[in-house]
Amino acid sequence: MSICVVEHDELHALVQRLIQQGPAMGPRERQQQPGFYYFDWLNSADELVLDYVTTTLPPKKAFFPPREPFLEFSRTDPAKVRSMTDEGPFVLLGVHPCDLAAIEQLDIAYSDNIADGRYLANRARTTAIIGVDCWPDEYCLCTSVGTEQARGSADLFLTPIQRGYLVEVRTPRGQELLGDSAQLPATDQDEADTAQFRREKQRRVTAKFATGVEQFADILAAGGLTEVWQEVADRCYSCGSCSLVCPTCFCFDINDDINLDLTTGARIRTWDSCQLPDFALVAGGHNFRGERWERVRHRWHRKFLYLYTQYGRPFCTGCGRCSRACTADINLVEVSNDLIAYAQRETQNV
Amino acid sequence: MSEDPQIRASKIVETYQPVAAHIVQATKLTDTEILLELRLGNGQSLGHGAGQFVQISMFGVGEAPISVCSSPTQTETFELCVRAAGNVTKALHRLEAGDWVGIRGPYGHGFPVEEMVGKDILIIAGGIGLPPLRPLINLVLENREQYGRLIIVYGARSPQDLLFTDELNLWATCDDVEFHLIVEEPDDKWQGPVGVVTVPLRKIDIEPAKTLVAAAVGPPVMYRFVAFELLQKGLPEDNIYFSLERRMKCGVGKCGHCQLNNLYVCVDGPIFCYSDLQGLEEAVEAWAPPTAEAGGKRREPGKGHG
Ligand SMILES: Cc1cc2nc3c(=O)[nH]c(=O)nc-3n(C[C@H](O)[C@H](O)[C@H](O)COP(=O)(O)OP(=O)(O)OC[C@H]3O[C@@H](n4cnc5c(N)ncnc54)[C@H](O)[C@@H]3O)c2cc1C
Ligand code: SF4
Ligand code: SF4
Ligand code: FES
Repeated sequence: MSICVVEHDELHALVQRLIQQGPAMGPRERQQQPGFYYFDWLNSADELVLDYVTTTLPPKKAFFPPREPFLEFSRTDPAKVRSMTDEGPFVLLGVHPCDLAAIEQLDIAYSDNIADGRYLANRARTTAIIGVDCWPDEYCLCTSVGTEQARGSADLFLTPIQRGYLVEVRTPRGQELLGDSAQLPATDQDEADTAQFRREKQRRVTAKFATGVEQFADILAAGGLTEVWQEVADRCYSCGSCSLVCPTCFCFDINDDINLDLTTGARIRTWDSCQLPDFALVAGGHNFRGERWERVRHRWHRKFLYLYTQYGRPFCTGCGRCSRACTADINLVEVSNDLIAYAQRETQNV
Repeated sequence: MSEDPQIRASKIVETYQPVAAHIVQATKLTDTEILLELRLGNGQSLGHGAGQFVQISMFGVGEAPISVCSSPTQTETFELCVRAAGNVTKALHRLEAGDWVGIRGPYGHGFPVEEMVGKDILIIAGGIGLPPLRPLINLVLENREQYGRLIIVYGARSPQDLLFTDELNLWATCDDVEFHLIVEEPDDKWQGPVGVVTVPLRKIDIEPAKTLVAAAVGPPVMYRFVAFELLQKGLPEDNIYFSLERRMKCGVGKCGHCQLNNLYVCVDGPIFCYSDLQGLEEAVEAWAPPTAEAGGKRREPGKGHG
């Protein structure tokens, strides 16, 4: 890995070049809703916002779309059951550390054991990723899950400094992207700017878990927290928004859509949420997670216990989207700290 | 993901693309169950193990996980026994010989058939639980000398609901099969015992250390009663295998629907050893059976239970 500095105008030109070379997705501001950002295809470098606050939906939609027809079929002709072809390659720009960590986690989960060919094919279309450092808000909890400096599979990573960006060139592909953009050596001032940015970022993260993730996993595994789960469940609407906005949630549903000719159609994968009441319902009526508090517990268990144990990292990157999205104001950090406090009280009482 | 994306893309397999399979024969077993014999269109053998399942597609309706119910040694074709329970399964009931469907699989973790050699085998089936156990029964019957006793307990709602009646008659008349049949709702002609599978189970003498049990008995509460009876008999938890059911979409450990605590029923199961289910609060089938005092209510999960 090497480090260089790219000034503002040079970066603008580089982004413009990438957009011209092929599709590029990055954070843009909503025209109807200034101050809100979303990942979308860019038409010009002017649209890309690099000092944005977390988008409502994570960039995972680039290769795990909310609704993806993946198989076309004809009910009358087996030869017409075919996988649907993807669009071509594209680049992904302006991804925050938490979202870089999330992409890496999806890669791990979807490659594990029996790999998800569909996801991997889409993911392979992402021929470059450029990350950028960010200012946290009051919902961000990256320092509690160790993602504040995550780089994932970014080819280039940018840290804002006075005269432009300090650029970490992380892969040969990253070097290729820079092409003949002017790459200046980092001065002491640039290094100092970078260190200052990271310190300030760290300082701005105020939402914090009261324990480390390992201890939190132990607390969840020990159980006996039903009272807290039920308290959260009393407020939760089971709307599933928290999973839909989560960059590491990867559950899905598969359904068939039939065309008006009643013969041809497509099989479609859609995002799903374990918080929805029917998620674990089987024919015959038995619901294996029929109680709302069981579903709430499942969300925490999956992120901070099961997948943590399986992959050695919590499946939460601290982006705070779930807390921002929840109409019931259920806050990931507050609930986690309630669980921790409850468990600590219980152990003291024994 | 350090590999070159282009190379990776070329290696990608379509995880969710079914292959065409033709219906060789469709036989109505009861009002609600149909037996489908299928042959893969690509000429290959399914290559399943006892206890594994496939995802069967009715295009335009959807997919459903169904256990393969024919013996693993039958390789030209395979069989599925389907109860009409909802959209996909009802559509499957309209199939006739010559029609085609989509098949993915086989998936899942089946019975540890090697471990079963030399043991007494106790099969406990309730209702639609018989099909997933049938490959195991067939395996034992085909290699009868390799096993000790073969005890089959099968319970159905009514005599009209009995599946594979020809085979039941065969088992009933075989010298080396101990067969116990029971129904809950007898009709006028029924001469056998009335009740649920635990009734005959209670009376069977077994040698706990050398007996392996395979059970698929329907609703979770039945599993709990069966486990209770078996543990009463002194059967080690390691010797009991349950075939579990959960909602499934992908069948390959990705969609999250079948998750049971940290396990995926589609990959880690559907066949589970009872001892591996201990301490898992979502393994409702392996909870302590409801007692009279608890009024059949669920045990409070949490402490000491995962
Ligand atoms: C491992 C396994 C083996 C099975 N083996 C058999 C068998 O041999 N014979 C048999 O008749 N049935 C079997 N079942 C149950 C069968 O899969 C369900 O009855 C069937 O999926 C219901 O789908 P449907 O579309 O007909 O019903 P609907 O109620 O219309 O279901 C709608 C959707 O819900 C999902 N769903 C609903 N119930 C279940 C369920 N119980 N399990 C998984 N997904 C569900 C399906 O994906 C379906 O697309 C098995 C289930 C599992 C998990
Ligand atoms: S977004 Fe909030 S209300 Fe909706 S399911 Fe999640 S926690 Fe419950
Ligand atoms: S659980 Fe919440 S904070 Fe964690 S990654 Fe998902 S949306 Fe972000
Ligand atoms: S069926 Fe999708 S994870 Fe098991």
